[in-house]
Amino acid sequence: MTRTPFILRNKSVLPVLAVLAVFTLAVTFLSHAYGNGAIPTSMVKVLGKTLCLALAAVAMDLVWGYLGILSLGQMAFFALGGYMIGQWLMYARTEDIVAASLAQNPIPPTPLELQQATANQIFGVVGSADLPTTWAFAHSLPLQLMLVVAVPGLLALVFGWLAFRSRVNGVYLSILTQAMTLALALWLFQNDSGFRGNNGLSGLQNLPGLEGVGQAKVSVWFLWASAVALGLCYVLAAWIVSGKFGSVIRAIRDDETRVRFLGYPVEGFKLVVFTLAAMITAIAGALYYPQAGIINPAEMMPIASIYLAVWVAIGGRGRLYGAIIGAVVVSLLSSWFTGGRAPDIALPGYVIKWVDWWQVALGLSFVLVTLFAPKGIAGIFDLMPRRKDKA
Amino acid sequence: MSALLEVSGVSVSFDGFRAINNLSFNIGERELRAVIGPNGAGKTTFMDIVTGKTRPDKGQVLWGETSKSLLKMTESQIARTGVGRKFQRPTVFEDQTVEDNLVMALKANRNPFAVLAWRPAPVTGARVIELAAEVGLSDHIHRQAGQLSHGQKQWLEIGMLLAQEPRLLLVDEPAAGMTLAERELTTALLVRLAQTRAVVVVEHDMDFVRRLNCKVTVLHQGSVLAEGSLDHVTRNPDVIEVYLGR
Repeated sequence: MTRTPFILRNKSVLPVLAVLAVFTLAVTFLSHAYGNGAIPTSMVKVLGKTLCLALAAVAMDLVWGYLGILSLGQMAFFALGGYMIGQWLMYARTEDIVAASLAQNPIPPTPLELQQATANQIFGVVGSADLPTTWAFAHSLPLQLMLVVAVPGLLALVFGWLAFRSRVNGVYLSILTQAMTLALALWLFQNDSGFRGNNGLSGLQNLPGLEGVGQAKVSVWFLWASAVALGLCYVLAAWIVSGKFGSVIRAIRDDETRVRFLGYPVEGFKLVVFTLAAMITAIAGALYYPQAGIINPAEMMPIASIYLAVWVAIGGRGRLYGAIIGAVVVSLLSSWFTGGRAPDIALPGYVIKWVDWWQVALGLSFVLVTLFAPKGIAGIFDLMPRRKDKA
Repeated sequence: MSALLEVSGVSVSFDGFRAINNLSFNIGERELRAVIGPNGAGKTTFMDIVTGKTRPDKGQVLWGETSKSLLKMTESQIARTGVGRKFQRPTVFEDQTVEDNLVMALKANRNPFAVLAWRPAPVTGARVIELAAEVGLSDHIHRQAGQLSHGQKQWLEIGMLLAQEPRLLLVDEPAAGMTLAERELTTALLVRLAQTRAVVVVEHDMDFVRRLNCKVTVLHQGSVLAEGSLDHVTRNPDVIEVYLGR
């Protein structure tokens, strides 16, 4: 059987990579640090964060659009990735500051004193002065980077194993994933969780040792990192869904009992996709929060994961570029409408303020898309006349 | 003839209803067998037990030369051991092509990572073409399975079963919804298949069973009422009363 290389078989890969490259270069040349300054640094950060959300949406599409599991807990993995990188960012920077202030002392501090002073600085806000065991690796960037994928991956593996082997399916599984993210958020809200309770981690935009570089440059670096991550993960996801593996997971989505009788270990396939998607989502989160600067447990509340599902549905699930379109369009529109810059609509007797009404409009468009355009925005591409490729 | 599948003393009840009651059933290597019985006789439950979908309350299901118990295995393990099942309603994956459906069914390593690394071997394409030809879908290899007619979907599903290369094929009402011509083709195919593997056909249609010209097992209220040639069982007064007499 002759097969065309998957890059060609998967017609969306090259266009998506091209658009991504053009976008990243354009933003770079319009940025303050590397261009004419037409795009302010805050906007560069918004665009970089949007790429991270698009990456989370691609992972969501793998799980929902291809495997058929409507996971309403994906943002738990996103936020966990952010927490894991945030631990290092916050620890290393606080340590630098503490070391600088202790350097004034006549006797230089021992490593233990330095660690205690750093812990006191970080955890004073929740009334503790000890470094929790969850911060054991916080001093090391490589170890925390490893945890970025290891912790969410392990959580997804254990959660998925328990849920899939009990054959929990459909809406029950959705509720279970939602319960998972809610439980995690509520736990993190506690002051003694070891993650600074509802204060979360802050100052994440400051990269330790690179204070002199300035946010204008750092924001462009993160934009590039986010674009590279999105590009690589898009290629990976496209490769996964294009081969026989993709065939099997779509078959599981459509009729998992039948797939079992074909001899495929359905639970194993679900576990592989769910865990991989969790890891991709965590990478997206680890790139997002240094651009956002702050993370707290509210980011893990179920509503965030529901938004992710709405983006993918509006963009068009079951195709990877649909997820990107949905995440980019809807999240940028969201920030525009809720940012107070959208003009209000004055009706006789009532003024529609978008800050209040955007949620309603979003909810409405979700309902309309589900009813009338199940293929989402990406369905537009089907309407375009195209060459009939005779197989 | 040594038994390929040996079901002995199996019982299962659902909410107090005895769907299968002390059922024993043997089938040998390369044997064709028809299972008939009125509605609720336990035909489908019997298939569910053999394929691992339903766990019996008691009894044994043994497989192959080593008399391995199928009861502790999952559906997918049983399928990989060599039991293929065709459902009553044609279940093919409608938004994938005939080729994709067949490739998925082809006997190969089913481990997720092996599937991820899967590359078509030189023989894969030839095998798919051969299978499609065998079930009369040569001209439809690149069509979406959802676009096929009802009968063609039945054929595709049979093709997928062949691709699995099972040693035992369980076929649930293959003739349902088929035209007369399709039924005749199906009969011929099942008879031919039974030359290389064991085939159990569950069927309502007496004419269809007659054409199969094989040993018949009559189920009633979850156990075997009679067994033998069709003429033999149709002369059995019990069978006449519970099934044919109505």
